[in-house]
Amino acid sequence: MTTSDDAVAVLGVQAPPATRWASRWRLALPVGLLAVPMLAFLTYFFFYPALGLLFSSIQTQDSRGIIGRPFTLAHYARLINVELYARVLWTTLRISIITSALATVLAYPVALVMVKSRPTVTRIITLIVIAPLIVSVVVRGYGWQLVLQNGPKGMLNWILMTLHIVDAPISVLYTEVAVVIGSLHVFFPMMVLPLASALGKIDPNLEDAARMLGAPWWKVFLRVTLPLSMPGFVAGFTLVFSLTAGSFVIPAILGGASAIMLGNLIEQQIFVVYDWPFGAAIAAVLVGLVLAVNGVSMWLLEGRRLRRPD
Amino acid sequence: MDERFSGFGAFILYTITGGVMLFILAPLLLVMAVSVSDSYFVTFPPQGFTLKWYAKVLQDRDFLEAMRLSILLALGTTAGSLLFGVPAAFALVRGKFFGLGAIKGFLLSPLIFPALVTGLALLQVLTKLGSQDARLNLLIGHVVVTSPYVIRTVVTSLQLVDENLEDAARTLGANRLTTFWRVTLPQIASGVAAGGLFAFMVSFDNYPVTMWLANSEYSPVPLVLMRQLVNVFDPSVPAMSTIIILMAMVGVLLLEKLVGLRRALAA
Repeated sequence: MTTSDDAVAVLGVQAPPATRWASRWRLALPVGLLAVPMLAFLTYFFFYPALGLLFSSIQTQDSRGIIGRPFTLAHYARLINVELYARVLWTTLRISIITSALATVLAYPVALVMVKSRPTVTRIITLIVIAPLIVSVVVRGYGWQLVLQNGPKGMLNWILMTLHIVDAPISVLYTEVAVVIGSLHVFFPMMVLPLASALGKIDPNLEDAARMLGAPWWKVFLRVTLPLSMPGFVAGFTLVFSLTAGSFVIPAILGGASAIMLGNLIEQQIFVVYDWPFGAAIAAVLVGLVLAVNGVSMWLLEGRRLRRPD
Repeated sequence: MDERFSGFGAFILYTITGGVMLFILAPLLLVMAVSVSDSYFVTFPPQGFTLKWYAKVLQDRDFLEAMRLSILLALGTTAGSLLFGVPAAFALVRGKFFGLGAIKGFLLSPLIFPALVTGLALLQVLTKLGSQDARLNLLIGHVVVTSPYVIRTVVTSLQLVDENLEDAARTLGANRLTTFWRVTLPQIASGVAAGGLFAFMVSFDNYPVTMWLANSEYSPVPLVLMRQLVNVFDPSVPAMSTIIILMAMVGVLLLEKLVGLRRALAA
């Protein structure tokens, strides 16, 4: 009796699709399995803890510190209704938006120069932009503390007073301005790198064409370069916003008591007040904020409105 | 510079870029300058020149203990994230299975998740488990936050591997393992090394996860430095900071040599 497989062999025809799929499956399966340890690790130590924290945020903590029923949304209500906490939420939003906006404005020129200069200049700028990224945030915050030091001994005040720009020392340290400056310094590379990569992908002929048709440099930038670099801008803005919103070290070092952010409030609730459910609720709001911004940015990047950077 | 931007536009661009470079370097240079200041308080402008603050730091037992812990932790983290991350990257690039995109998103998600919350969530779970060894807890936390960096760099370098070379090796009779060791690995070696270096540096500098999982007995360098900022006012703090800056510079130069900075950091 002749099976269909034999017929295939005898006639010398290619194996039917079913067999090819089967062999591909046998090959593909072990490769996919290589991801299992990582998946298991992250599920257990990242995904599951995150869900657990979210779950604590809707529970109640009794006087012995044990978290359980009844379920409640009171912790979220407290964050919004108590003025002290609501202010921290607004401060966080304000600092994150201002930092991302300033980073955008300053990153465009730097990214343009980075992309269009001679290789040596590009290399030096890249090195200067990236190097601080690898220096501890604590060190960079400390550096700014020294620069912004209130009183005549701070570097900024010393320069301003030596140049007679101001007569009396100005107070920048321990204000929101100081936190914005510090955050800008820490997260600036996150804006420049995606922007530079988007700008590098723009066909230079497009800009040349605009220029040859008589457009001045600023018009070329506004009508050609800027729209084509939108994917880089969106990616950078999202990164800077998310990282600033979730920061702890910079507001702790530079903001003092007048610029407390969500991260500092969480730390205080957990380590000082021991209020886990409330701390968890603040953390959930922070995560919600960051995920929302990332969601919008992914929607923008994947929709037809923007070309994907790669 | 070509004539692509010239005149007033170029002037503005270069002025702003110069200003930004100054902005980036100023606080770091100031820290380094103050660290050799011969005064008992940190002041500007720095006075004289001395290396005595470095001598003080290098005899500071807290700092040396923290250094030792941070380096061991970073080495362990590097090993751990490579061990988990490299095979995962392989699966992501070479695997053809349902939900590949979603799995990739999941594996990279610690990158967009606020690290502060990652650490807090982990603290809650580890407390429930009764895991009280701060060193082990820190290692777990650091592997969670560093492995996406390893996956990302290794995925990028795997995508550049010429699969024809592997096919050729297989055709010539090499088995899968030999093909991997002799053909694939040499091609992705710089990517793996860059990923490992990344993991090391991210672990060494990490604050937002570390702050939850460390304790008074085991405090890595960033936490010790943060404590010193509040309590110590002599130039030994800038001296410690300068040591950290110099270590980072070595890391950056290594990274630049291995893969090129832009490629290492590009998403």
